[in-house]
Amino acid sequence: MKKVLLICALFLIASCQQKSTLDPNINPFFQEWTTSFEVPPFLDIRDEHYMPAFEKGMAENLEEIDVIVNNTNEPTFANTIEALERTGALLTKVQRVFSNLASSNTNPQLQELQRELSPMLSAHYDKITLNQDLFNRIDQVWKSKEDAGLTKEQEKLLNDTRKLFVRSGALMNEAQKQKISELNSKISELSTAFGQNLLAETNGFEMILDKEDLEGLSEGVILAASEAATKKMEEVDSDEEKNKYENKYVFTPHRSSMYPFLTESTRRDLREILYKSYVMRGDNNNEFDNKKIAAQIAKLRAERANIMGYKTHAHFILEENMLKTPEEVYDLLLQLWRPALKRAKVEVADMQAVADAEGQDFKVAAWDWWHYSEKVRKAKYDLDEAAIKPYLSLDNVIQGVFTTTNKLWGLNFREIFDIDLYHPDARVWEVTDKDGSHLAIFIGDYFTRSNKRGGAWMSSFKGQSNLDGRERPIVVNVCNFPAPVGDSPSLLSFDNVVTLFHEFGHAMHGTLTDVTYGSMAGTSGPRDFIELPSQLLEHWASEPEVLKSFATHYETGEPIPDQLIEKLLKASKFNQGFINTEYLAAALLDMDWHTISAKESIKDANSFEQKSLSKIGLIEEIAARYRTTYFAHIFSGGYSSGYYSYVHAAVLDSDGFEAFKEAGDVFDPELSSKLRKHIYEKGSTEEAMDLYVNFRGRKPIIAPLLKVRGLDGSSD
Amino acid sequence: MRLSKTILCFVLFFCWFQLNAHNPEDFVISEIERGQLTFENETIAAEYGAALKRQRIRRLAAMPWLKKIYIFIKAGFEHIIPQGLDHILFVLGLFFSSLKFRPLIIQVTAFTLAHSITLALAAAGLVQIQSYIVEPIIALSIVWVAVENTVFKKTTKWRPLVVFSFGLLHGLGFAALLTQYGLPKDNFISLLMAFNVGVELGQLTVLLIAFLAVRIVLKSTTNKNILKVPASVLIGAAGLYWFAESLLL
Repeated sequence: MKKVLLICALFLIASCQQKSTLDPNINPFFQEWTTSFEVPPFLDIRDEHYMPAFEKGMAENLEEIDVIVNNTNEPTFANTIEALERTGALLTKVQRVFSNLASSNTNPQLQELQRELSPMLSAHYDKITLNQDLFNRIDQVWKSKEDAGLTKEQEKLLNDTRKLFVRSGALMNEAQKQKISELNSKISELSTAFGQNLLAETNGFEMILDKEDLEGLSEGVILAASEAATKKMEEVDSDEEKNKYENKYVFTPHRSSMYPFLTESTRRDLREILYKSYVMRGDNNNEFDNKKIAAQIAKLRAERANIMGYKTHAHFILEENMLKTPEEVYDLLLQLWRPALKRAKVEVADMQAVADAEGQDFKVAAWDWWHYSEKVRKAKYDLDEAAIKPYLSLDNVIQGVFTTTNKLWGLNFREIFDIDLYHPDARVWEVTDKDGSHLAIFIGDYFTRSNKRGGAWMSSFKGQSNLDGRERPIVVNVCNFPAPVGDSPSLLSFDNVVTLFHEFGHAMHGTLTDVTYGSMAGTSGPRDFIELPSQLLEHWASEPEVLKSFATHYETGEPIPDQLIEKLLKASKFNQGFINTEYLAAALLDMDWHTISAKESIKDANSFEQKSLSKIGLIEEIAARYRTTYFAHIFSGGYSSGYYSYVHAAVLDSDGFEAFKEAGDVFDPELSSKLRKHIYEKGSTEEAMDLYVNFRGRKPIIAPLLKVRGLDGSSD
Repeated sequence: MRLSKTILCFVLFFCWFQLNAHNPEDFVISEIERGQLTFENETIAAEYGAALKRQRIRRLAAMPWLKKIYIFIKAGFEHIIPQGLDHILFVLGLFFSSLKFRPLIIQVTAFTLAHSITLALAAAGLVQIQSYIVEPIIALSIVWVAVENTVFKKTTKWRPLVVFSFGLLHGLGFAALLTQYGLPKDNFISLLMAFNVGVELGQLTVLLIAFLAVRIVLKSTTNKNILKVPASVLIGAAGLYWFAESLLL
């Protein structure tokens, strides 16, 4: 083993000549980074460097704010707003590295730091947004903006900055501020309790099965359930408890455990038990019940909105979004609702037919959905994932997304091998524009590992700005694709491919951005807009012309057969009635909870929910994707009256891609350049709807989305 | 404690949202549905090692051809000098068995031929034998050569064949290391040959140094076998030690 290590070390030295130019005795965050493209010097940064850098960063930031506030000159755009843009450089520098690594390459120390830093940072930002003297200067600049000769971008920055302060309470009197702060702390306590209860409920239920209860389950599912039992056995102490799990199989309401069971198990009685344990979370009238908490949160939010001068919480939230009012959101959701529900009813009939043909004597219920929809899928949409994977090696797919952006915008990618990143699986490319100029650094960190958070995301290590010279960004995509086994390449599923294109779309938003002020760059736009650049790029992944160009067999080099592409595209319309119905029901429920008035007193969250769902005619075979008592997005997270944003972005991307279809060329040069200019370059320098209309020539319509999802009747 | 950690993750996630864009649904869900990350150092280290190998292969693939060849020759050479003490001793064992030129050349050629064959087979993935089997036998092969040198007056006529079969084993030893390196598929044969050339160069260097050293010593004496026994005893002792070590570890 020593030999192996030695040889590895020697080899490393031979293959990467990069040497640190930093002083090892000084915190790397306090030094200028002379690395190529100013990529953070990851090998020099150690866990103990973060906290001092954060502390110094925050202190410096406050000093810089003081300088702005104490400026004796009349407040101007330059000495106030622009000056604000320049503050906090060190804090941003450390925060970007830290927040990235705490997710993509974390360890117990970083997680601990994260817990320590969270309250520190929120207190720090409060100090700035609640600084009345600072607001007064901003407000003065704002009041005299007509004569200041500001550019459009500057005016938007000024308005946005002022709005941030106003929304934090800058225009309120002391009594109001006091009340808001009370409400905020109550809401945050309740949100925390909501999340804790939900976690306890999710972890609190388990279905322990014997060998004879496993009918229908595949080997992999059985193995996972048996491992779950072994793990439980290790966790408990007493012999009596250990016996409970011995030679047993455990299923839980965690989705990764529940969905395979619901799909495969032929035991209808057990499916019902497990399904109900999931949908009853937080609704068991025990100590972890979330009904009262949810109702209270909604009411307090409404009160807070009233004090701030908004009719409802939804009005307060949506003001910042692309859709500006609850009416617009309801309008969108209800337009989609009818076709989705119609399709769902067809799906129910399809499943009932399968059940009847089996000679079953029951009406298909919610807990039968996965089992029977799988049978329908096999009959109607059968797609063998294993047959597709050999065409989707990670390297080919990366090349495919590169080629796509090359054809759209003339971008070129050059992999760089002599920059050391935070993990050897992270790869780095220089992105250059069609004229050869440097655009950005792109980091792709694709494989799953045990010190990486789940899911997929885009982030950046360096922002873009043209304020003090041309600063180009460093963007990163992090995914959780299966790492290759042995020497064979990593083969992706088509879902993985879509995810890769999606995150790469975000990365392009961060790469092509070209704005003056860093705070408006890239993905800084409203939540119901920022998924547009990402979801839009997904469409190219499933475009046969594009797919064929990159999906070549990793061994033979053969392009993917047309027949497989056809199956693949057909399969994307499978179960869309269900998927859309459960989603839209939850989105509407979210809107209902957040358009209540503060005077309304909701005694029973369940009857509120039932009223909300029966109003729209949700069928009993489908539950809302999240019922009130486990709707963590809106009661514990930041998605209140924002859950609709996923489908809003989907309307935009389908309608946007339709423009290319109409042009008859998915790489139409004129459209591509419009897309780049109005969507990918602009950050949040203009209202999102204006950006979209500038690209599309009109407001978005829903018909293309209905077509993409097979909700236009074509799949019935 | 674990509950509040998760909640804090939520809070952080939403602060963090300002800096990031992603598919947020999975994120929120993952905290509740999948729970906290657990850190198992062994797994993390294994993942890191595999990633390091992938990185080396990528970096190698991007290098100009000549540089790749150079790196593999160097790697092969380094595997003999200074890292391959076991192989050095085996070659020295052969050297001391017969200070005559002809038998030495035959034996060394048999050894080289044999380990080239298994190295190629193993690198191509056609033969795979776990290192816990290979390593003790390599150690024993050293002992055997030493014993033969010391005990028998004259080497048997089967000796080249025996050396050949030990060579097969040593080739597997080289292959284990080469696999750690990662051998890019595109240049498989040329880089394998480069590695082999490096190994041969290393071997030849050992023989050359030994030859020069022996010449200096033997100038003052007429007994050509004066070195054979003590050197072989030392070599055999080292082989025994490795044998024991490889069984224990």
